[in-house]
Amino acid sequence: MNTAAPMDIPRWKTALNMMINPGEVIKTQMTKIPWPYSVMVSGLSFTLFFLQTGLDLLRNGQVGVSTVILITMLGLLYGTAGIALLAVMVWALSQAEQRGYTLEWAISTFALGYSATFVYALSGLIFSLAFGWKTAVAFGVTGVLWALRPTLYTIKQMSGERVAFSIAMTTLCGAILLVGWAVLGKFAG
Amino acid sequence: METRLGYAGGAGVDGVKLWPAYLCFIIFGVLIPFSRPEYKVTTVIYSLIIAVVVGLLAVNLLILAFNSGNAELRQTDGGFAREAVGTGMLFMIPFTALAIMALALLGWNAIMPFASAAITTAAATAGTEAMKRGAQGVKNVMIPTLVAIVLSTVWMMLTSILP
Repeated sequence: MNTAAPMDIPRWKTALNMMINPGEVIKTQMTKIPWPYSVMVSGLSFTLFFLQTGLDLLRNGQVGVSTVILITMLGLLYGTAGIALLAVMVWALSQAEQRGYTLEWAISTFALGYSATFVYALSGLIFSLAFGWKTAVAFGVTGVLWALRPTLYTIKQMSGERVAFSIAMTTLCGAILLVGWAVLGKFAG
Repeated sequence: METRLGYAGGAGVDGVKLWPAYLCFIIFGVLIPFSRPEYKVTTVIYSLIIAVVVGLLAVNLLILAFNSGNAELRQTDGGFAREAVGTGMLFMIPFTALAIMALALLGWNAIMPFASAAITTAAATAGTEAMKRGAQGVKNVMIPTLVAIVLSTVWMMLTSILP
């Protein structure tokens, strides 16, 4: 584990840096970020993403307002408990504890990676509300895809730079997230 | 005997493998025409040609950028750029697999966001791999990212005018 003393960087800047240079953030800045803050970022990201899914379905006349609220709440659950569970699974499978990475560090790093999803989801929501566009796939799914880069770096770090393992686990995480979103969207709709 | 199978340093022993990266580009070339109303053979051929050209450009421009930006390292380790690109481009695989899954399992035909995220992530990862091998400066991540953004934009524009 990198023990270099991190500089006093504001948390919001760390979240933005996670999109631009995740490798550096994971190595040097994550010890300063508490896991509840990171989980709040991923929670908000998926809440906005799922809200857009609900709004798309509402525009199609497939669901009512109450279902949109239900889908949004599912997004909050997905972005908090779901992402934390995913982080726990990867942490356990990569045997990260042996390399000095705590469970809190894993959850925090994994969850903060979804800051890219947050930016895409927020932009998508603005377009959805202002222009009435269907934005769940165009913005939401794209946001999840861009979050796979920090996920990849986190898994590489936790697994001791094992390339094949990182590729397999990143694919698994992406598949779980995308299939989970599709299934929940259908279930709620 | 190679005892660190699957680790970043392992590729250097048997030489650099670039074929997985080219395979990913070829798969994207086959998948992209599914976003068209009709899946035609001529569209697939054009899409494949574009994908292979983008792939060749991506790999060779990255090697060129790393070599020209790290002249000292190149003198001591001539193959570092190729190794970094070979390892970095492997990270196109998750996006390629997810694109196949999205199309086959979820019925989504928007493949380009997967291709765009794949090329950008792989290029940036190639940059960090180059830095791990001794390349100095954030330019090794920023320039590949810029190259990837330009290439994926060109790729997107070309696929939009496919016959």
